[in-house]
Amino acid sequence: MSGAFLEELFRRKEKISAGGGEKRIERQHKAGKMTARERIAKLLDPDSFVELDAFVRHRCTDFGMDEVEAPGEGVVTGYGTINGRTVYVFAQDFTVMGGSLGEMHARKICKIMDLALKTGVPLIGINDSGGARIQEGVDALSGYGQIFYRNTIASGVIPQISVIMGPCAGGAVYSPALTDFVFMVEGTSYMFITGPEVIKAVTGEEVTPEELGGAMTHNATSGVAHFKARNEEECLEAIRRLLSFLPDNNLQDPPLVETGDDPGRMDESLREIVPPEPNRAYDVRDIITRIVDRGDFMEVQPYYAQNIVIGFARLNGRTIGIVANQPKILAGCLDINASDKAARFIRFCDAFNIPLVNLVDVPGFLPGTAQEYGGIIRHGAKMLYAYSEATVPKLTVILRKSYGGAYLAMCSRDLGADQVFAWPNAEIAVMGPEGAANIIFRKEIKESADPQKTRDERIAEYRERFANPYVAASRGYVDDVIDPAETRVRLIAALEMLVSKRETRPAKKHGNIPV
Amino acid sequence: MKKFRIVVNGTAYEVEVEEMGQGPVAVAPAPAPAPAPAPAPVKQEAPPAATPQPVAEKTSPEPAAKAAPVSAGGIKVEAPMPGTILDVRVKPGDAVAAGDVLVILEAMKMENEIVAPQDGTVKEIVTTKGASVNTGDLLVVLE
Repeated sequence: MSGAFLEELFRRKEKISAGGGEKRIERQHKAGKMTARERIAKLLDPDSFVELDAFVRHRCTDFGMDEVEAPGEGVVTGYGTINGRTVYVFAQDFTVMGGSLGEMHARKICKIMDLALKTGVPLIGINDSGGARIQEGVDALSGYGQIFYRNTIASGVIPQISVIMGPCAGGAVYSPALTDFVFMVEGTSYMFITGPEVIKAVTGEEVTPEELGGAMTHNATSGVAHFKARNEEECLEAIRRLLSFLPDNNLQDPPLVETGDDPGRMDESLREIVPPEPNRAYDVRDIITRIVDRGDFMEVQPYYAQNIVIGFARLNGRTIGIVANQPKILAGCLDINASDKAARFIRFCDAFNIPLVNLVDVPGFLPGTAQEYGGIIRHGAKMLYAYSEATVPKLTVILRKSYGGAYLAMCSRDLGADQVFAWPNAEIAVMGPEGAANIIFRKEIKESADPQKTRDERIAEYRERFANPYVAASRGYVDDVIDPAETRVRLIAALEMLVSKRETRPAKKHGNIPV
Repeated sequence: MKKFRIVVNGTAYEVEVEEMGQGPVAVAPAPAPAPAPAPAPVKQEAPPAATPQPVAEKTSPEPAAKAAPVSAGGIKVEAPMPGTILDVRVKPGDAVAAGDVLVILEAMKMENEIVAPQDGTVKEIVTTKGASVNTGDLLVVLE
């Protein structure tokens, strides 16, 4: 072949790889941001990236766009590997027309989305874009629509991860919102439907981009994002870690990992974590890290609705999804945000064959007008729905309190738990002893010569008779009452027993979860 | 009653100043076109009084909510749920680190530790031991 052909090829590729040019790349670096290509290189295994569609160009001729060259169309797309497993990735290139999304930019993204879906491997989208390319008008809008549609079709088939590493505003936010996990970086990531200027013009409120849609806002306040990193490197490393827990698609089981942690490991310190007084709090994460392999727990949404703790870990090398009440926050009550957070996580785990381990210490649903007006009834229902619907192995351990509707909502036997264990100090009842005794013995207490004494006696009696795990165990709602020290051993045994679990549901288009 | 025209950042405000004689001075911004940002600093005419008693009624705000004006600014620590204050573990002036327990709130039969969201100094304790609080009630102000 004549050298001229190759020269031409190399010249063209080099130009595309240079993105928006040195000056803009420098500006990107100064802002603490990597370029699209640098991000992909960091995310994937070294030298594994294969780029697609580098030569794609926009077709817009309006507003002088025929003169504008946009190398790579402002987005780098392709595939590569993470820990040796194939993934598809796109990264918007802020140095090329601000990463703005036009028809062909969107088409590049859609092509790899289709490939990811066909081949059944995860998709990672790195967002860093000023928004729609306005010159392209409705074609740009259509581009977003095409992406949203594919996000939805791929939901529950392949894991989809969105990474926000720059602006992501307006309609663009809905692609991340439709995916399974959203990562943000402190100081450089912003997500909002309407920006600070529009808000100021319309409502007069003054708010900075960081306050309105920064990493902490979406991690702690809105619950839109699931993970927050201090910088881009830490963020990309967290994505690699997350993927290590997940299967490639809904037909595979999660990867089995040799963790080296003894499945027969007992931990006597578990007997001491839950305080003997039923009104004292503790950190449920101290229990989680003692049970799971090597204490390796990747918490999801650690800043949002902290009264429930969710995340991934392993038992004997198998990925599990943990849902645990957090007595340290809001007494561990279930509320609107906790229900939403848990329900979505439960559905993710079910979609991707990840068994659920539920650690229960819940005094009930959070009382108050704000909760009732906010629709705790329909939000709380999501948890019941998600647990009932899930066909993955479901293991429940009642650590201490489990009362009323919240007892049911935390994956009770009746919602299909395959195994329910209780620690010896567990209290399973319709309500706490005080409330129950007040109602059952109301008349007797009222008519007593010493109501306070009668009341205390009756509470003690109720506690003695019902506030223990043996009533529930005598009915078979609890399969076994276990020594806390053997929790890990028993969970692993149950998990291995349930590996071959098959449960089918009636054929239907889809259920109607109370969203 | 004296009238002044004050220009702040290029915007003119009409301000009426009334001298009360024995000290306390009320400064009531006239219904100027733009909302005057707080009482504009009036030069010599209004000697800064230690406790400006708002005598001019119209603008004096109702003692809205508990202690709202005092706590403007600073980090507000509010009750996350309805309950009873079992114990107050800090006093004004105490230095606290993020995560330090400020107040014990009994709710849902649990003793909930209400902790400092960040490092700071206790500026004000709004609640008292034994008080019943609702969601969102101010408990402690840090600065």
